[in-house]
Order: sequence, then structure tokens, then C-alpha cells
Amino acid sequence: MGFAKFLAKRCLQGILVIWGVVTVVFFLRFLTPGDPTSALVPPDAGQEVRDRLRENLGLDEPLYVQYYDYLTDLAVGDFGQSMAINREVSSLILARLPATIELAVASTIVAIVIAIPLGVISARRRHEPVDYGATLFSLFGISTPNFWLGVMLIIFVAVHVDFLPTTGRQMALSTAAAALVTEGSVSELGRWAAQLVLPAITLGTYFTALITRLTRSGMLEEINKAYVKACRAKGLPETLTLYKHVLRNTLIPIITVLGLQLGTLIGGAVITESIFAWPGLGRFLITSINNRDWTSIQGTIIVIGAGFVVINIAVDALYAYLDPRVVAD
Amino acid sequence: MSRDDVDRRTFLQYGGAAAATAASVGLAGCGDSGNGNGNGNGDGETDTPTPSGAEAELREYDGELPEDPTREQVLQHANGVSNELAPWVFLHQQYSIYGVNNDLEWTARADEDINVKEISTQRDEITITQGQLAPTLDPVGDNSTSTYNVIDQGYEPFLYRDRDGRPIALIVTDWERTSEQEVRLTIRDDVTFHNGDGMTAEDVAYSINRANNPDVSDVASTIGDINEASEVDGDVVLDLNSLEPAIFRNLTAFGRVVEKSWVNDNDGEIADVMNGTGPYELDEYVDDTRVAYTQFDDYWGETPDPQSVTFTAIPENGPRVDALIAGDTDLIVNVRPNDIPDVQEAEGVRYEDTPSTRLIFLVMNDAFEPFDSQEFRQAMNFAVDVESIINNILNEFGDQTSQPTLPGHNGHNPDVDPYPHDPARAEALVEESGHAGAELELHVPRGRYLRDVDIAEACASQIDELENVSCEVNRREFANLVSELVAEQSESPAFFLIGWGNPTLDANYAMGPWFTEGAFQHFNNQELADLLEQANNIPSGSE
Repeated sequence: MGFAKFLAKRCLQGILVIWGVVTVVFFLRFLTPGDPTSALVPPDAGQEVRDRLRENLGLDEPLYVQYYDYLTDLAVGDFGQSMAINREVSSLILARLPATIELAVASTIVAIVIAIPLGVISARRRHEPVDYGATLFSLFGISTPNFWLGVMLIIFVAVHVDFLPTTGRQMALSTAAAALVTEGSVSELGRWAAQLVLPAITLGTYFTALITRLTRSGMLEEINKAYVKACRAKGLPETLTLYKHVLRNTLIPIITVLGLQLGTLIGGAVITESIFAWPGLGRFLITSINNRDWTSIQGTIIVIGAGFVVINIAVDALYAYLDPRVVAD
Repeated sequence: MSRDDVDRRTFLQYGGAAAATAASVGLAGCGDSGNGNGNGNGDGETDTPTPSGAEAELREYDGELPEDPTREQVLQHANGVSNELAPWVFLHQQYSIYGVNNDLEWTARADEDINVKEISTQRDEITITQGQLAPTLDPVGDNSTSTYNVIDQGYEPFLYRDRDGRPIALIVTDWERTSEQEVRLTIRDDVTFHNGDGMTAEDVAYSINRANNPDVSDVASTIGDINEASEVDGDVVLDLNSLEPAIFRNLTAFGRVVEKSWVNDNDGEIADVMNGTGPYELDEYVDDTRVAYTQFDDYWGETPDPQSVTFTAIPENGPRVDALIAGDTDLIVNVRPNDIPDVQEAEGVRYEDTPSTRLIFLVMNDAFEPFDSQEFRQAMNFAVDVESIINNILNEFGDQTSQPTLPGHNGHNPDVDPYPHDPARAEALVEESGHAGAELELHVPRGRYLRDVDIAEACASQIDELENVSCEVNRREFANLVSELVAEQSESPAFFLIGWGNPTLDANYAMGPWFTEGAFQHFNNQELADLLEQANNIPSGSE
């Protein structure tokens, strides 16, 4: 089976999964008690106001008609109107997507930059102080809850040292990039990066700890394999052996974890987004749940689910590239 | 006839925010924490009280309604009667606590409004941070205090209110009731919209009609029983469907002035753009992130101090205080009492507190036993030790209450004292009610009001300490609890904690929704309903 065929198969599976998510999310609404219109009209509204609204929302149609309408609308990117405010759900989600992606990517970068070298060094200097230090750091990272770490970082770094902004996303990457292109101003880019540092560290710490441990154990497993001995026998420098050959094979399981984590970060950064007033999808989902804003809840879950699927396909493709045996399953 | 007030969506705003948002206003008043009257046999022995040792004596209100009473006297009497009937357990008036940078001179308002016009400062730019921003800029799109604070720098209500809640001139300079069901508003002739157009009476009439249109407005039922607003000889005339005594107070709280032609041209964009008459014009609106304003040069009134103002939102309490201390923002809302020391110790910032217009109480739904018994309801009032809750849980940021209407609000009865803590009398009354052995479940919304769950836990454990009643707490999501309580009374929980803000500072808003027919009704008593009906048929002058 060639690479293209493999990818096509994966994409098809992905589409099926997204359809499944859409279906579950659509019918979930009918399993929850209460009339969805009750959130939209004043409690003292008369029956005729409710009926007109039900009609406007298409809620008076049979279920299969509603489901068909929902699918056909989704196909053209129409998630419907928010039930809490008079806006398109698609525009609400689009407005929040960049913030979420920025934060997820930034915290993943934090993790990769710190964790992989640390894991390699740990494995190479096994049972030396460096290794113990890394282990201690991992233990701390895995066991520290985000709500505590985030608040501590704000108090010490932002308030006491006054080094970085406390909270909030005051600038989008697009704005900073535009300033760079049109005015050649680097300072805007610096401001954009500064606001990201603390939330990215908060969100990335657990993840960094996890990858450090994974890298270390993966390296230790690989290091005793025959091909490493062969490299060394050939007289390859140790660094080259480790970073080029051993690490490449170690990376395969790490990429899987990275992909899954990235997916989680897109929808699961609720706590960090709340602490840092970061206007992303996680916070939006919680707000929508609190408002019983069904259309927004559905739209957000579908986008998060689709994000997961896309990332998974990307991981699979990368996998196939790193390990050709995968394609030939 | 009682109008039913609050739009349910008002209630559904951001359950995660600590403070409630039902649009709210009120007046600073100090609830008297005097000890109640008629202390049966409260010898303070709470360890092993014996029902036989106390008188099972019902508390009574002995006020008389005078001949040909004023509306205020009727409402005061209704408050006295409601203390005796004890439809709910009166707890406390909630406080609003703000953190403020010392570069700003500003005094907090009981109605929780933040008007940049009222801030004196040498600074050109200031930042104000709430728990949430405005989900829409449409002035009738979301009826909540936090949204009004954001949009009211650019949009203006028809009338405004002084700090005691009385209507004062704003866009409307003169207001009078010309007949039983008609009022006439005289408007300013020197007002300019941000787009440069002059404001007309037609715009004002249109704005009132738009606020009263349930298809687009969140305050359609709240603004009043209005048939239609129309322009007549340069004035605005409101044709009412009933007497609507609180119409002028309503016009201070609901609806904002918009330009008719602009709304028609920008239909569908109203949520994201702004064209008002206020002292600031919109500079930038980033959903969920910030709303930035700069001064409007052609404002009809006095130019405010700051050249520009930005509103931001930080949902978490701790980080919001940190942002103030770090100097990233200049004014924050909802500082928790336990964060006050941090604010006090920090350089260059202070805290401001004021009693709000919000009353926190336990509703006893009389559709269910044992709450259909007056003895039992009074017993619950004697059982709960409100003073200890205020001192120990709220760090004294709260005032004990005795009635639905808060001190200083129109119709508050100053002669009614709160219930004293008297467990022995409570037990005797429970015995008297025939409901000894009752098992109660107190529902409480989680994270909606200041220390809500802790307050409910304290109430429940005090009730549970009675020999003949047991009580436990059920923590609920706010949105779910609200959807149950606005349904049929028989589907609502029997016993729950809730907060009620009063944007009109009028007793009818405090009692009408809960005691007369409508979505919020949880208590049925003819005498009380008749009193509220009577009050609604007496005009209230220009207040």
C-alpha cells in the first residue's frame, strides 16, 4: 500500500469519525430535559412567542428533518445562531480559534524544546545528579495542578518581578505579524510573545514532564540495540549516534503522545484559559454550557472533535514518514 | 396586575462568575442588625434545647394600613406582612467590593454601575476589569450589570438615577404623567450621535419601542407595560396598558437611546458596532477580550477626565486582583473578602465597598409540605443564625435583612426587625406545625454569589441542629436550578438559596415576581397579593 492510499484511507476514517461526533452531539440535545427555547424567551413570554420561536428555529419539524438540515448547514460551515446572543456560532468560534491554537502550539513548543534535550541528557547520564534533577522536575511537573501553577506564576513573575503581563491576550499574532510586515516593528511581536509566556508554561509543564520521561525511557530502550553498537563500532561520534539514530527511533511514540496532547490542549485548556483570561475555545465552551447555549456547545464540540481528527491524521502521516513499516500494515 | 419581571436569560449569564448579574441597582443602606423582637425563650442555650421549654409563639406584625394610603405606605405594609408570613428565610444584603488604583477618585455605587463620567483622574488612559465582558454591544441584547457597565460609556439610558435611586434627567429632561395611562417625556435638543447625526424625539420613541419588542430585546417585559411610544410635537408620549407606577424608574434601567435610521441600516451588525450618544465612542471591540473607547468630542454633557478607557475581563477572582496590584488594570469588580488584605498591603491601590441592591435568601416553596405551614416557615427563620454567617463567612461584608425590600428602597418598612436566632423557639414552632421529623434538602447554585455554597452549608447545618428537623445541601449548576425555578411552581425545588437584585429600587420588583402569578411565583397568599395589586393601582408621581 502506497503512502497516498494510506493517507486517503485515514482521511475517510476521519470523516466518518467527525460525522459520528456531529450525530452524537446533535441527539445529545434531545436527551437533556427542558425546552431549548426556554433559554431564549423571558419566562413570562406567552405561548405564541414560544411557538413562533420554535418555528423560526425549525424545532417544530420532525427530528429527521432537523437532523438533515443541521448536516446540510454544517456542510457549508453554518453552525446556526447562538442561543445566548444574536450572533452566528461560526463567527464566535472563528474569533476564538486563533487564541486557542496559539496557546496550544506555544505550550507544545515549550514542551519539545525543554523535554527532548532533557530526556536525552537524562538517559545518557543515567543515575547521575542530572538524571535525578530531571526526574525530580518531571515529578513536580506531572503532579502540579494548572490552577495552582498559573496563579503562582502570576504572583511571582508578573506581580512581584513585574516582568510579564499578568493576564489577557491583548494582541493576536496576526496583528503583531501585520505590524512586522507594514512597519517593520519587532516590538509588537515581542509584546505578543510576552503575553503568551506564562500561559504557555502553565499549560506546557505537565506535558514537558511527560515527554521528558518518555524520551528518557525510549532512549534507554534503544541504546542497547544492535544498530547502536554498530554505529559506535563504526566510530561515529556519540552525539551523532544519539541524536541522529537513537532519537529518531525514540521519537515515534513521542509523536503519538504529542498529537494526542495537542488535541487535548485545543479543547481542554479551560482552567488555564480562565486563569489567564485567554479568550479561547475551552473558556467559550464553559461559558456556553453555563448559558445553556446549545448551538454554541454543539459547534464548539464539533470543532474540537474535528481538530482531534485532523491532528491524528497528521500524526499518522508523520509516523508513516518516520517508520515506513507503518504503511505496509 | 403584576408584571413579571426578569428575563430568564438575565439569569443565565455566566454562572461561573462569582457575582450575580441580574441587572441590579440599589441604594446604599445599612441594614440594622438590631436584635429582633418577641424573643420567645431564647436563652441562647443551643446545646440541648427542649421544645417544651420554649413558647411556640408565632411572630406577628402589628402595623396598620392608614386610610387612603400612599403607594409607599401600602408597600411598607406588604413588607411588614411578608415578615410575619415568612415566605422565605431572609438572609442578607450582599456587598459589592471593588479594587481601585489610587490615581482614580471614585466612589462605588449601590446599583453596581461603573460610569467613567464619575471617575476623577489625572490619567489619560484607564482600564476597567470585570469578570466578564459584554457578549454583545446591542443595548437591549443582554440585561446584565456587567454588560451595561461596558456599553453605558457609549450608550445612554433615557433617564438616570441618583445614588438613592430617584430618577434624574439625562436624555430626558422632563417627565410627567399626563393621565392614568399616559406619560410624556421632554427630551434634550442638543444631543449628537457618534456618527454626527442629531438625536430626535423619533429616535427616542423608536428606542423605547425597540426595547419593548420581544423579538429583539432582552428587556421587553421588564421595561414596563407599554403599548407604544410615539413622537408628539417634539416630545415622546408613552401609551401604557396599565398604570405602571414604576415606569420612570424602569426608564432609568432598561433600554438605551439608539438612532432609528442607523439601526435599520446596520441590522445584523448591532452586536459588534456602536452608535450612541454617550461621552465615549467605540474604538475597538474584540469579543471576549476587550472593548476600547476614546472620548467623543461632540458629547452634549461635561467632558469626562480620562481620554480613553478600556474594558477587559478576567474571570478568575485571584488573577483579577493580581492584575490590579501589578498595575495592568485600574479598577476591578468583585474582590472577595479574603483577598482584601492583599489589596490593602499592595502599593498604590485600595478597596471600595458598598451594600449592593442584591438580597440573598432561602425560598420556601409553599407548593410543598412542610413549607405550606407558616409555623414551619417562621421556625426556619428562627433556626438560621444570620449574624454568625455574616461575621464568619462574609467577613462582615453583608447586612442582615428582615423583609424582601432592602433599606432605602421605595417601600422598605423601617419598623420591622430581622428574626433573632432562637433554636428553642424554632423547635417549638416545628412541633406546633405538625411537621416534626421533616427531612429537607436545600438547593444552592454553585459559584454564583459570594460564598454561596458556604452560606447554604451553614444554614443547613443550623437547621439540621434542630432536634426535630434534618437538612442537607444539594449543590446545583445555576443554569439548571434557574430552569427549574422558572417552570411550574410544582416542578421547582421546595427549598433553595437564590439572590435577587433590584434595578428599580422599588418594593414591587422585590415582591411581585415571587408572590404573584408568573414564572417566579413560589408563594401564594391572598392578602399579600391584594396589597401588591393595590400598590400597583396608585400612581407614584414622578419617582
